[in-house]
Amino acid sequence: MKYQTQKIALAYFAVAMALFAVQVTMGLVLGYIYIQPNFLSEILPFNVGRMLHTNSLVVWLLLGFFGAAYYLVPEESEREIHSPKLAYLQLAIFVLGTAGVVVTYLFNLFDGNFALGNEGREFLEQPKWVKVGIVVAALIFLYNITMTVLAGKKTAITNILLLGLWALALLFLFAFYNPSNLALDKMYWWYVVHLWVEGTWELVMASILAFLMLKLTGVDREVVEKWLYVIAALALFSGILGTGHHYYWIGTPGYWQWIGSIFSSLEIVPFFAMMSFAFVMVWKGRRDHPNKAALLWSLGCATLAFFGAGVWGFLHTLHGVNYYSHGTQITAAHGHLAFYGAYVCLNLAIITYAMPALRGRDPFNQVLNMASFWLMSAGVVFMTFTLTFAGTVQTHLQRVNGEAYMDVQDQLWIFYAMRFGSGVAVVLGAVLFIYSVSFPRREIIEAGVKVPAE
Amino acid sequence: MTLHRTWAALVALSFLTAALTTANPTRAALVMGVLALAGLKYRLILRHYLELWQSPAWARGFDLVLALLLASFAGLLLAG
Amino acid sequence: MPAPHAVSSPDAAPDDGAGGLPGEVMIWILIISELAVFSAGLLALLAGRLTDPAGFAEAQSHLHRVGAAVNTVVLVTSGYLAAVAAHKAGHRPTVARRLLMLAAGLGAVFLAVKASEYIDLFTQGIGTETHPFFTFFYLLTGFHAAHVLAGMVLLMVVAIRLAPRPVGVAAAFWHMVDLVWVLLVPVVYLL
Repeated sequence: MKYQTQKIALAYFAVAMALFAVQVTMGLVLGYIYIQPNFLSEILPFNVGRMLHTNSLVVWLLLGFFGAAYYLVPEESEREIHSPKLAYLQLAIFVLGTAGVVVTYLFNLFDGNFALGNEGREFLEQPKWVKVGIVVAALIFLYNITMTVLAGKKTAITNILLLGLWALALLFLFAFYNPSNLALDKMYWWYVVHLWVEGTWELVMASILAFLMLKLTGVDREVVEKWLYVIAALALFSGILGTGHHYYWIGTPGYWQWIGSIFSSLEIVPFFAMMSFAFVMVWKGRRDHPNKAALLWSLGCATLAFFGAGVWGFLHTLHGVNYYSHGTQITAAHGHLAFYGAYVCLNLAIITYAMPALRGRDPFNQVLNMASFWLMSAGVVFMTFTLTFAGTVQTHLQRVNGEAYMDVQDQLWIFYAMRFGSGVAVVLGAVLFIYSVSFPRREIIEAGVKVPAE
Repeated sequence: MTLHRTWAALVALSFLTAALTTANPTRAALVMGVLALAGLKYRLILRHYLELWQSPAWARGFDLVLALLLASFAGLLLAG
Repeated sequence: MPAPHAVSSPDAAPDDGAGGLPGEVMIWILIISELAVFSAGLLALLAGRLTDPAGFAEAQSHLHRVGAAVNTVVLVTSGYLAAVAAHKAGHRPTVARRLLMLAAGLGAVFLAVKASEYIDLFTQGIGTETHPFFTFFYLLTGFHAAHVLAGMVLLMVVAIRLAPRPVGVAAAFWHMVDLVWVLLVPVVYLL
């Protein structure tokens, strides 16, 4: 660690991992409710559990991005962070908001209240006061990071990262616009949800991945930057109008079916480029970086993102297919592998990379960390398969044969049971990961030939 | 100098297209003729306006994709 | 086209490792992406046409074919001016600037012709939902017209602070607009 203020990342990563634990635990509970529907139905209704599962996911991924930014911006711009105090204040606001959200959801406090009650929109359920807090915290973050970058060296990595983060924050403002017309509501809602995960987050992902490749493989910065610009351009070209694939059946004009189908089909391209990028860099790279686990997570990220976001997304993005598959377990399969591959693995990669430096010791226990990668990834991939099969059966029974929703759900029980099993593997993997980066002090295998640190 | 000639050729091909569409040929002749003329224009623009003649490998790649695309157009047009 | 150019443009960017594509790699990525999008749209139109050939033919008969032919000549001429401007940007800045303005002006002519067609269709009460053909028609030609507009802005911007590289990029964008139009006209207007 070259700069003292990179230490800020440690606090962000710690909170992120705590929320990661909450997220996967809640996922396991939900998975169990699928096979035992009355489980906890009195104290934790399914919808509340689902809100906690998805909201904690989004918040921990964001905290991970913030932490990553606080870690890599000083190194890239060769400056200390403008104000560490503001960075910790930002984190405190996020923690307070998250706690407020959890309490509000669990006890359904202030229901219907303009500022304090939950807003009842999937993913954007947060009460207004929390949304305001998020905006304030985001402004603090952007001010802090932008000042740092402006004072120091500007690189392609920080440029794309800042572009992604600024756009991310600005798009969140659509969360405040809630028209009473349901079609319009949904239309603007996707400005946040889609343009985050299939637009701005991809820019953040590409820049963090580029940083990792630069450090782990030792390939020339020039080469990395060229790839980064190409990936960013492809992501924006396909992703912005790709929003149309959410406008098929919400009451928007028919031409969206074609805009959505064509552009969202191309969304696979930037993910393919990211996968190619990661492997080409490793293949070209001469550096033998000791942190093998970080490399494993990076390559896993690029590969699983290609399959989860790219291939599984394409499976049901054409409107002729989506007409039948919309809202079935196919969507759930895609959602799980895409979020895991693109954003969970990315965060775990940068955490794995940064932790040894942040905690001032050798690359901790890489064997446990790599084991956690294989356990967690195998779990999510198996889950994706079970849900894909469940969704295929469901599409046929429910949408083609016209059977009733709950009758079909009964017939899917076996898939849900297998999915629960894979969920257990994911939770164990997550626990193993958190343990491996937080506790062991020594590597359990001997270092081979000494490689000089970069 | 060849930019002039490229332009002249493009305009000439456009007039040929217009002539063909007003000459009442058979459906198949019209489809094949108009698509062929469009393909020629496409190649001219790509090679001389966009200077792709400088990299023959890429030019061949574009030609291949163009041929497949025009063949698909023709197939779909003549099927219905 | 027989005789190839004798020499490359003096300002052509050096080979940057992308297999010798002339000019900037980023603009080629854009060109390929745009061609992919428009090709997919045109293929979708033709696939949709199979379900109702008579209806598509009837819908198509409302379009201005002569206007489309005029616009083809306008665009390839404008493309020619932009290509010459890109060659002259290095050593004849004043000429290059005038050529770029002229090219952008022809873009305005294209849009005017296009607008007269749109207005005629609107007065007939034809909108995007009138028939599937018109959904594709408005989508494809509207999207193309948006690119014409963007290209005009680009040509004028690079004309103000003239330098070979930006002029090359703007001209390449403008040629892409030509390429798309050449594919679009036969499918949407003629066949």
